[in-house]
Amino acid sequence: MPEYKSVTIAKGRGGWGGPLTITPTDGKPYIYSVTGGGIHPVAQRIADLTGGTPFDGFKSSKPFDQIAVAVIDCGGTARVGVYPMKKVLTVDVHATSPAGPLAQFITEELFVSGVKPDDVQQT
Amino acid sequence: MTGSDSDDRNTVVVYETTVTRVGEQVPAFVDAGILILFAAESPEELHPISVLHSAQTSIAGPVVGDIVQIGDVDIPVLAAGSVVHDNLLNLGHVDFKADGRTEPKLPGDVCVPKGSLQTPQAGQVIRVIHRP
Repeated sequence: MPEYKSVTIAKGRGGWGGPLTITPTDGKPYIYSVTGGGIHPVAQRIADLTGGTPFDGFKSSKPFDQIAVAVIDCGGTARVGVYPMKKVLTVDVHATSPAGPLAQFITEELFVSGVKPDDVQQT
Repeated sequence: MTGSDSDDRNTVVVYETTVTRVGEQVPAFVDAGILILFAAESPEELHPISVLHSAQTSIAGPVVGDIVQIGDVDIPVLAAGSVVHDNLLNLGHVDFKADGRTEPKLPGDVCVPKGSLQTPQAGQVIRVIHRP
């Protein structure tokens, strides 16, 4: 059985929200990368440090209750709201602040933005 | 000088796609001046807020001065952010904002005139027409 570790993710330059602590579990192992171009480096770093399983959300999908964290590259108003609305911890690699009709769901406990790989640290 | 700006010989269709499905929350977003497109094969959780589509032509995203055609409605592009081209070609994703801005507020924004967006219908064709 893999042993999982925790990471703490603080907001990056110009970012918003957080810090988030991500700890995968056997029931929630997935580091869900919903970005263009496969597994984003931030998602890979989270997976490398925690032992979680990186997963390309644009290739196929997993149930939300199996997702430890969703990594997005939202530069607008769509993905930033969707994952917090589903109560999934969300990391945005762009420095986005809450906006759009779903902004009410975006809280500091669920969302952190402007994140680069260095902003992901072992807890 | 006739001043006509509808000379088709100088225009290029850089993106053409057919709407496959309109999410249930799209009208609410359009009322807020936002229209979100995603490719038909994108993750399910994005479907309720998105216009899903399947592209036939995918050369470039919209830039200032282009026309976006939704069905038979022409919408001028006032501004386009730095990630618009990549998002559209990689994910079929674009965020139209009817904010009338000439500088995008967010890097994913394509700014169009206030009030110019309508909810598309399945089967409609959306085009981006580039006028060099």
